[in-house]
Amino acid sequence: MFGRYELGFSYADPEIRIQLTDNEGRVKYERECAGKTESRYLGRTFSAIHVHPVEPVNLPEALTNFLELSFPPLLLSPGSSQIIYLKFPVETGVFLESGEKRDLLDIFSLAPVKFSLYGSPSSGVITRWYYSDLYMDIPVTDKRREGVMTLLLKNSGTETATISRAVFDGASMCIFYGERVAMTATMEIHSPSIAHTTFSDTAPADCPNRAIDLYLSRAFSITTGKGYFMEAGTI
Amino acid sequence: MNFFDFFNMTMPEAADIGSTVTSDRDFFATVSPRDIFIFFVAIIIAYILGVIISHHIRVRMSHRLKKDQLDILTGIIRVVLIIIAIGISIPGILDLSVTIILIALVAVIAIIGVSSQKVISNMVAGLALLYESPFATGDFISTGGVSGTVVSVRLFSVRIRTTDGIYVHIPNDQIYSTTVSNCHANVARRYVYSVGIRYQDDVKKAVVIIGKILEEYTFILKNPAPSVFVSDISADSVILTIRAWFPSNWKLTRDDISLSTEILPQIKEALEAAGIEMPYAQRVVWFANQPTHFADTTSRQPSESRLK
Repeated sequence: MFGRYELGFSYADPEIRIQLTDNEGRVKYERECAGKTESRYLGRTFSAIHVHPVEPVNLPEALTNFLELSFPPLLLSPGSSQIIYLKFPVETGVFLESGEKRDLLDIFSLAPVKFSLYGSPSSGVITRWYYSDLYMDIPVTDKRREGVMTLLLKNSGTETATISRAVFDGASMCIFYGERVAMTATMEIHSPSIAHTTFSDTAPADCPNRAIDLYLSRAFSITTGKGYFMEAGTI
Repeated sequence: MNFFDFFNMTMPEAADIGSTVTSDRDFFATVSPRDIFIFFVAIIIAYILGVIISHHIRVRMSHRLKKDQLDILTGIIRVVLIIIAIGISIPGILDLSVTIILIALVAVIAIIGVSSQKVISNMVAGLALLYESPFATGDFISTGGVSGTVVSVRLFSVRIRTTDGIYVHIPNDQIYSTTVSNCHANVARRYVYSVGIRYQDDVKKAVVIIGKILEEYTFILKNPAPSVFVSDISADSVILTIRAWFPSNWKLTRDDISLSTEILPQIKEALEAAGIEMPYAQRVVWFANQPTHFADTTSRQPSESRLK
């Protein structure tokens, strides 16, 4: 489903239908997903569309930049590190190609949406919350619905850390797609209450294609990109 | 000559000061095209300087200050620069001494201060609001009986648009001296709802049904978790109180009505589907000559049959 498509493109499965038709010069984009439809006419300047996984923090409306993955508690001894795999929700973005420019046309998703609060109401952040089981090998996923995050946990503190959630900044996410949708991240635990999450921009072997960064396509100036400091604990 | 010298002068001496001021007749004779040119050049330079400084401040401070704070700050800088430019160029045109300028300035400030105390207090309150920033443009606030979205925060007043579209203009000193509730100061806010069910309904079942709706509702936060509990056993019903947290920047949290129309109908529908109903107000009326056993046989009948 992900990739670059030109006029006449059509994709359909039992849950998603995307169509780009040219009817006597009128280019029409149509999408149907989970019972919701989107239909728009496009100007002649657009030559193709790109369908890519995007940062999963946009639906049903942009309330937050943060993704929180919750998982069964894992204990990590001081100085140790471990790689775990988590599932994350996938949102699919449709971009219009106009020369070198990529403009966002549509976002849809099959994954359920739930929000949460990380930290206190006065100093915390709203997060897109998602529960994943904890995997030691890459789990099988439906890439239209879920991606797989490779998360390297490093306990650089002096105490045994209990980790049951990780919060990530959407502005620094690097999403890749191929056989699956993937992200690679690191979570460094400094103490039971402080951890730092960052993303790697190295593509996994089975996911060689870098997805379009939604934040870049929106021409946001990214001043952060240094990950997120979790200062309200890892449990 | 300083201020003290001026105020200690005798009237004739003070009259002499007037001679240092150029008369109307002499004004056009003494003001050269060069002076006027310098005046306008100074104003233009101050204006351009103000624009450049404002631009730099916006670029460098936009992540630290809110838009309305930046507007006020850059506005003050530009006005100060213009005043400085006028202060530098005017003495040359009018051929006034610095002492006279200062005296005139003090007099003008004193007159303005006395005649427009309210304006000054609004301005001072505006600067205080700018410094403390209890709210910003776009926030939903309640103050002095008015609730609405802040449209703009200015030096003298705050403009609010109420949920029914009314434009409200509130002087800054009024806002500064009263309580302000800002619904968007924190990232999440809690709502409380009350639902009454009949005495004969299963309370635990109702709690489970409502809990499931809250759990599935996208915008009710997972953490802090929503809660449902019996808060009151009133005359006509068992009252269940629902507490749920929502993101403050969600559009439906702009006012309580929007959120209620979204949540409460779902709860009512789900409870009714499970056979749990909202009770009617009931009163048991006893007659003075009523047999004592009547109460035992009819205690579970509707009130109408008891009255027959």
